[in-house]
Amino acid sequence: MKILIAEDEFSLQQSIAIYLEKEGNVCEVASDFNEASYKISLYDYDIVILDLNLLTGSGIDILKQLKKKQGANTAVIIISANNSLDDKLEGLDLGADDYLTKPFHLAELNSRVKAILRRQMFGGGAIVVFNEIKIDTDGHVVTVGEKEIVLTKKEYDLLLFFVTNKNRVLSKEIIAEHLWGDNSDLIDNFDFIYVHVNNLRKKLTKEGAKYIKTAYGSGYKFIED
Amino acid sequence: MKKRSKKIGLIQKTSSIFIIVSLLLMSLSSIALYFYVRNILEAEIEEELYSTTARIESILEAGKNPYSLPPVVEVGTSKELLPDILKDTLIYDPSQDEIELFRELSSFKRINNINYKISVRDLVVESENILIAIIISYLLIIIVVFVVLYYFNKVGNSYLWKPFFNTLEQIKQFSLTAKEPIVLSSSNIREFSELNTQVKILTDKVRADYNNLKQFTEDVSHELQTPLAIMQVKIESVINDAPLSNQQYDQLTSIQKDIKRVTQMNKGLTLLTKIENNQFINPKQVSLTSIVEENIANFKEIFQQDIQFVNENELLVTMDYHLAEILCNNLISNAIKHHIGSGDIVIEISNKSLSVSNKGEKPILHVDQIFNRFYKENESVKSTGLGLAIAKKICDMYNFKLTYSFDKGSHIFLVQFS
Repeated sequence: MKILIAEDEFSLQQSIAIYLEKEGNVCEVASDFNEASYKISLYDYDIVILDLNLLTGSGIDILKQLKKKQGANTAVIIISANNSLDDKLEGLDLGADDYLTKPFHLAELNSRVKAILRRQMFGGGAIVVFNEIKIDTDGHVVTVGEKEIVLTKKEYDLLLFFVTNKNRVLSKEIIAEHLWGDNSDLIDNFDFIYVHVNNLRKKLTKEGAKYIKTAYGSGYKFIED
Repeated sequence: MKKRSKKIGLIQKTSSIFIIVSLLLMSLSSIALYFYVRNILEAEIEEELYSTTARIESILEAGKNPYSLPPVVEVGTSKELLPDILKDTLIYDPSQDEIELFRELSSFKRINNINYKISVRDLVVESENILIAIIISYLLIIIVVFVVLYYFNKVGNSYLWKPFFNTLEQIKQFSLTAKEPIVLSSSNIREFSELNTQVKILTDKVRADYNNLKQFTEDVSHELQTPLAIMQVKIESVINDAPLSNQQYDQLTSIQKDIKRVTQMNKGLTLLTKIENNQFINPKQVSLTSIVEENIANFKEIFQQDIQFVNENELLVTMDYHLAEILCNNLISNAIKHHIGSGDIVIEISNKSLSVSNKGEKPILHVDQIFNRFYKENESVKSTGLGLAIAKKICDMYNFKLTYSFDKGSHIFLVQFS
């Protein structure tokens, strides 16, 4: 997939690019408004990751420019330091596909990117495959080999998050934030994340899929041996 | 405590001063007039008495018979000559058939070797009637003049002070958050014109300061988010790139937690500023019952103990929907954070109130500070210290009453919607 990262903060831009390239995407970067505007006028991207506060202009204008472009099917994820509801709504109204508030986890950004790609390519009903595990993201049905396994809503979200961020270490904080958003700061011990992960692990292991590994004692990693 | 004095309006005040001064002047002048007219009348009577006496004397000197007309004129003889006596006396008046007050002049004269006592009298009643008539007509005139003056005074004052009241009304309606600066009508009176100029300078300055402060808060919040994002992203990269020891990993995730906390704090502060700036101006009918139900459903997954919800009837409140969500969320999450022991968290919605209570060991020490930002009763509980301050701000904005009480081992937060 071809992704443009329009972000004026160099180290943030690079970290995002490196993370997404590891997932097999082709990443280009733009460090200011003019560069971003120039690049989107020349090339077609599958996704633009767009900072709203670019040094020399507003990301909103880039978004408008993108939506005017003929025949382009570019998805936009806005990343903004501004968490006000109005900005979020304005961005989404103008045709952005998703909105992330800084600071965010790369794993979270990655799972949003993947979700958009699934929607773009298969109209939402893509099947995510990892070896013998098949996740039907339309019907929320998971099969291991030929056998369907029944998961709770949280276990399903967790599995999809693991698979989209396979081979990565996911701390309990990242998982908690993915599953419960802002309310995750109420969680003073992460024992019940352990419970959720453990239930999922048991259900998968029963069918022979042993991919959830513990990393560094308290984190998790979804990995093939 | 300082007693609050009752305030009265400027026009009423000037009118009442006018009334008091006028009444005082009116009564003083009436009294003065009364004495003055009385003196004149008395002098007149005396003059008349003396002249009647003189006439009688000349009749007597002419050798005619003494002329007598009781009770008005009496002529008699006297053994000795005394000085003139002028006095008031009560005498029966046969013509009126009653006792009347007379002014009496008794003079003793020696005429043709006979000592005469000549008493001349005049009715005082008549002169008193005249006096009363004069005073009454005077009072009538003065009252008419007073009423007319009072009316013109009032109308004139209202007209004169009109620019002042206009300015006052403008100041009352002045709002920091209004986009337009204050507009004051001009006046050709120098003092009012100066007042308007000063008010304009003052409000412009306040608006500028306020906007700077607002901009500053927004800038700080914005400028903080980006470095936080960089830190967050780099920690994630480090975790994924290099093999780490368990200890290193724990430290890195602990930094992640702190970043999360700063982020939450930042969000809270921005939200507080926004509420203070009245940036939520989208009130509509909101069902707190359904918001609380949603909240409970969300919290049930991360909070193992039971949340009891007592809902008598659906509570509808007119406020911004987003703020309603924040209010409920903050009160409930506060209860979850500080819940101690095995009892349930109880949320109760009644006709016009919402109460959230959780179990605790002892009441809050500094109740007066509980809604202050960054007030923490207990350092061991992780929190931004902004949740209740935000809840209080929201309630203040809509004139809801948010109170805290401790009863039978429960901390109770009660919102009364009036």
